[in-house]
Amino acid sequence: MENHERSIRLPDNGNKVKAMQQKLLGVAVIAIIFVAWFIAARIISKPLVLPDFVETMQQFFKGWVDSRTMSNLGITLKRVLTGSAYAVLVGTVIGLLMGYSTKVMMAVSPIVNSIRQIPIMAWVPLSIIWFGLGEGPTVFLIFMSAVFPLIINTVSGVTGIDPNYINAARSMGAGTVAIYRDVIIPGTLPSFLTGLRLAVGSGWMSVICAEFIATSKGFGFLMIEAQERMQTSKLYALMIMSAIVGFVIDQLIRLLEKRLTSWRFKNGKAVG
Amino acid sequence: MARLSVDGVTKVFEEKGKEPHVVLENLRFDIEEGQFISLLGPSGCGKTTLLTMMGGFQAPTSGKILLDGVPVEGPSSERGYVFQNYALFPWMTVEKNVAYGMKFSSMSAKEKQEKLKRLIEIAHLQGHEKKYPIQLSGGMQQRAAVARALAGQPKVLLLDEPLGAVDFQMRELMQNELEHMVREAKITVVMVTHDVSESVFLSDRVIVLSSNKGRVVADVPIDLPRPRDRSSEEFDKYVFKLTNLVRRAFQERTDTTF
Ligand SMILES: Nc1ncnc2c1ncn2[C@@H]1O[C@H](COP(=O)(O)OP(=O)(O)O)[C@@H](O)[C@H]1O
Ligand SMILES: [Mg+2]
Repeated sequence: MENHERSIRLPDNGNKVKAMQQKLLGVAVIAIIFVAWFIAARIISKPLVLPDFVETMQQFFKGWVDSRTMSNLGITLKRVLTGSAYAVLVGTVIGLLMGYSTKVMMAVSPIVNSIRQIPIMAWVPLSIIWFGLGEGPTVFLIFMSAVFPLIINTVSGVTGIDPNYINAARSMGAGTVAIYRDVIIPGTLPSFLTGLRLAVGSGWMSVICAEFIATSKGFGFLMIEAQERMQTSKLYALMIMSAIVGFVIDQLIRLLEKRLTSWRFKNGKAVG
Repeated sequence: MARLSVDGVTKVFEEKGKEPHVVLENLRFDIEEGQFISLLGPSGCGKTTLLTMMGGFQAPTSGKILLDGVPVEGPSSERGYVFQNYALFPWMTVEKNVAYGMKFSSMSAKEKQEKLKRLIEIAHLQGHEKKYPIQLSGGMQQRAAVARALAGQPKVLLLDEPLGAVDFQMRELMQNELEHMVREAKITVVMVTHDVSESVFLSDRVIVLSSNKGRVVADVPIDLPRPRDRSSEEFDKYVFKLTNLVRRAFQERTDTTF
């Protein structure tokens, strides 16, 4: 276990061309699927099942400028943000305590491990009983789906810290508070941010489901509405939009990850 | 009075379902102020265990370690420690790592700033202050780790195989640099190593520990002028003598426990 490096190497310049080629390949596959869709829709000619490609694209582009769609997307994003914020607060504290103290670990892990086995959608009925319809149950469901990846990744971040970092800090005179501030928290950050990505990702997925049932606002609600009105092309468009929003959120968190933990990368620049 | 005393130290590791493992038994020796001591011995003979007890990271099962007559209880900035893998904080720049060594000392901000500059110079790290450990070579990491351990002005510096991970060509170069750094700091040093020539090059005194409960097999003062000439006949004599002693130290286990 000597010198175990927890570093990740970014592709260097030589690999950049290759990475570019791979990206192009990905785009090409999407293009092929779209063409196949275009042709298949004409052949099948059942727009309720497989809508016309061009019409769907029109719906898709309209969606981004339609104020009703956008305001509902805003509502959904706000829910994700709120639910994730609560999850970060609770998950980080529980995770740090569990990781640092064996006693807390022993006391809390059975309950954490059993609660997280409950499928997230199984919380829907209870969350409606607890919070009624509207913001309450949706935010709660996001919280429930986001908190466990955060706890688990924070715990593994803390327990993965080389104990010699803590010994080193102590031999330089650091007390418990300083050890948390200067060693445990920065040492846990990479793993925590991985947890955050998973958390917000699963938050985004569960919010849509929650909105099918527990509310009459939000992006998920628009989907149900489109389905009920048999606007399949709109439903497809909304689904593609939700994929893109999820992707953008993930990329943003990745960016945050790279900025906050540039010290893990050989070619990273020192910040501050 | 000795600067550092190992006073009848015994360390036993007990694991469930296994015989208690006596790593060190009733170990006893003194280290004078300003001496550079090497603990030499076969792998697994308890060198790191002894050093971590000096660092205060774990306690002896019985016996004491005394610093200026005061028993060691837990880590403190009186004892600087360089870990086998350096344990530089990867999220701090070189500068911040070295400065961390004096973060909790009573020096004024200005004094700390000056001292930092000085340490960076001694460690030949000028121009690398803003880099992170991952961006440094092994040699630079080692120097940064020593600089960090020296920053808090400890009474003793404890080094656990500081050159263990360094390849052969770099080793001698880094031995020179290590000597240079600790000479400047005029500090008492205890270094763990299993490299005989390294111990002769750096030490005022070499203590050879045996695989059998860490018994002191030999305690050899190195009477050679510094800086030492690795190609001299005298140097070779010490290396030869100590190599034989280490061999014997290793065989003690085979003799007594099998
Ligand atoms: N925490 C521990 N628990 C049980 N056994 C240990 C522990 N630390 C060290 N040992 C045992 O003590 C012996 C000496 O280890 P160590 O001090 O690391 O040797 P060295 O540094 O001389 O190679 C080894 O046999 C090792 O397995
Ligand atoms: Mg060792």
